[in-house]
Amino acid sequence: MVVNVKKLVKRYDDLIALDHLSFSVKEGEVFGLLGPNGSGKTTAINCILSLLKYDKGEIEIFNKPMSPTAYDIKRDIGIVMQNVAVYEELTVYENIDYFCGLYINDKILRKDYVEDAIKFVGLEDYKKFTPKKLSGGLLRRLNIACGIAHKPKLIILDEPTVAVDPQSRNKILEGIEEMNRQGATVIYTSHYMEEVEQICSRILIIDKGKAVATGTKEELKEMITLGEKITIEAYGVPEKSINSLRDLPNISSVEYKESILKIKALKGKNNLESVLEFIKNENIQFANIYSELPTLNDVFLEITGKELRD
Amino acid sequence: MPVYKLCIKIFKKNISTLLIYFFIFLLFSAIMATSASNTQKELEDFSYIKTDIAFINEEESVLVEGLKAELSKVANFIELPDETEALQDALFFGRVKYILRVPEGFTGSFMDRQNVNLEKTIVPASASSAYIDLLVNKYLNTAKIYVQNMEGISQGELVRYLERDLSEEGHVDILAGPENSASSYSSIYFNYMVYPLLSILIYGMSALLISFNNTDIKKRVNCSPLSNTAINIQFSLANLTYAFVVWGLMVAFCLLVDSNNINSSTFYYVLNSFIFTICGTGLAFLIGSLAKGTQAVTALTNVVVLGSCFISGVFVPTELLGSVTLRIGSFTPSYWYVNANNQIARLTQFNFDTLKPVFSDMAVVMLFAAAFFSLAMVIRKERRYS
Ligand SMILES: Nc1ncnc2c1ncn2[C@@H]1O[C@H](COP(=O)(O)OP(=O)(O)O)[C@@H](O)[C@H]1O
Ligand SMILES: [Mg+2]
Repeated sequence: MVVNVKKLVKRYDDLIALDHLSFSVKEGEVFGLLGPNGSGKTTAINCILSLLKYDKGEIEIFNKPMSPTAYDIKRDIGIVMQNVAVYEELTVYENIDYFCGLYINDKILRKDYVEDAIKFVGLEDYKKFTPKKLSGGLLRRLNIACGIAHKPKLIILDEPTVAVDPQSRNKILEGIEEMNRQGATVIYTSHYMEEVEQICSRILIIDKGKAVATGTKEELKEMITLGEKITIEAYGVPEKSINSLRDLPNISSVEYKESILKIKALKGKNNLESVLEFIKNENIQFANIYSELPTLNDVFLEITGKELRD
Repeated sequence: MPVYKLCIKIFKKNISTLLIYFFIFLLFSAIMATSASNTQKELEDFSYIKTDIAFINEEESVLVEGLKAELSKVANFIELPDETEALQDALFFGRVKYILRVPEGFTGSFMDRQNVNLEKTIVPASASSAYIDLLVNKYLNTAKIYVQNMEGISQGELVRYLERDLSEEGHVDILAGPENSASSYSSIYFNYMVYPLLSILIYGMSALLISFNNTDIKKRVNCSPLSNTAINIQFSLANLTYAFVVWGLMVAFCLLVDSNNINSSTFYYVLNSFIFTICGTGLAFLIGSLAKGTQAVTALTNVVVLGSCFISGVFVPTELLGSVTLRIGSFTPSYWYVNANNQIARLTQFNFDTLKPVFSDMAVVMLFAAAFFSLAMVIRKERRYS
């Protein structure tokens, strides 16, 4: 087990930021910590890294208890925090070199590592730039390079794509997958379910400091009753038809607004077929029709009763 | 030593800004110091302007000629007729400041060890006539010693001895004189140095502290396998390096410019400034821990440094400051530093007794340093747990 968190409790005065949170991360995983803003992701990461004192619980990394002085553990961890943490005075190259130098003493080896990291995040053309001259996306990439240049075995990234342009975001996500292929175990926090769905092999959904559900994305989607969402662009659908649509077997909800019919179906086969048949029989005019499988947002919605994004 | 290297690198990055400060201040203090010491020199030179005197000689002798030769170094002889009225007019209208009359038979009586005196008429309360008095007395008293101790000394021999003695004494006078006076270039420079030294220390070190205390960057460093102790040691070492490089450059500049006047007081100036640098480091550390941004530092620095320079005798000599101001000034370390400098400037002899007040001033500066460092530590500790 690379990381093992047992019944972690963290309070800020009256607020319980982490409420008996338990999870474990296996070697080679990209482990996603998914939750809305304020759900306790950053707090959990800070506790795991011993940056924050916690009230109860146990944390093991590489099967050893983690503490502020566990330097042999820290040596193999790379962190990328939510806020960009680089020196304004130093150039891109110097920043990466400094943070890498906290882990790697050997100058020649470090030079290779820094060059690798720069190539990895695609900042080759910006080596001599100071952080002030970088755009938001490039700055995030620098932030990541500073955290991973020493080639750690465990990489922890806390919302590394907040406020980043799509191009940089893709570059970052591809980078994380690449590092994972090269053998690193990754813990990735985000409130963007698409990202988590895209790169994480296992996901923990948290809300208000509590674990809501955990598993692969397929497992998570299996946990809920929702089978598929059918959206139809239909004109002048009478109230009566909507009601009888609701009464069909396997249909859990129907909404009709501005010529859009939204239907949620429970798990089962041929849902789309039976809906289509119904519409034909009722002589409803329609233009577009499509069906979606549930997303993690639907999982979150069904379990907590609210949207993942605020 | 990654943290040490980083700090030095950041100092170097800020160097262009700091160098501008450095040179402006150096130029400023150099100009102030040279102009102040020039004024002082003019004041001193004033006493060497030759005084107009009348020398009325009722007899010719080798001894009297010797005295006249000695006086000619500081006086112009004005020829006047030996008439009471003419002489009084000359004094009254300021044509002469001093009338010296050698009465007949003076030399004979003097060589016979009798008590005789020259007659003088002077303008009352004149500094230059007092100076002539001094010289005449010195000449005759010295001569008296020779006459009384050397049986049958000839006038020629006596004059030769006197010539030698008085010129030697004059030489000694110069050694104890202007070089050590309160206004040598070094003493002024070391007083003015408070301003550039403190400003550069605070700007440089607080800029570093602010970057270093950035909570996000701290998190990164705290996640690394470097121990807290190692980080703190390297950080402190870097700051000390910076402080002493700045101090060294400033002292070196002064010694270079004033290289002709390096003497025993120089050593104490340098020692005093070294101790003050330690104190300034403490102050910079405190301000860097208090202030959250560069602008706050600039504001605090201006208030603290400029303020203390004005009330502690750095910009305005202590003699010109009111007693209330000085009392307030004594709550700043620069007051004690300047005080020590001024005392060193007045010293002609350097031993433990004469240096005692200087050392006690230095001790006060050290106490300030200790206070600044402890206060900064307390603040940093508070911040860490909040
Ligand atoms: N230093 C703190 N003091 C008090 N409350 C805090 C502090 N940091 C975070 N919190 C609270 O703890 C909860 C979890 O915050 P955080 O871990 O930052 O969430 P996330 O990273 O998931 O957005 C939030 O309600 C937040 O307001
Ligand atoms: Mg967060």
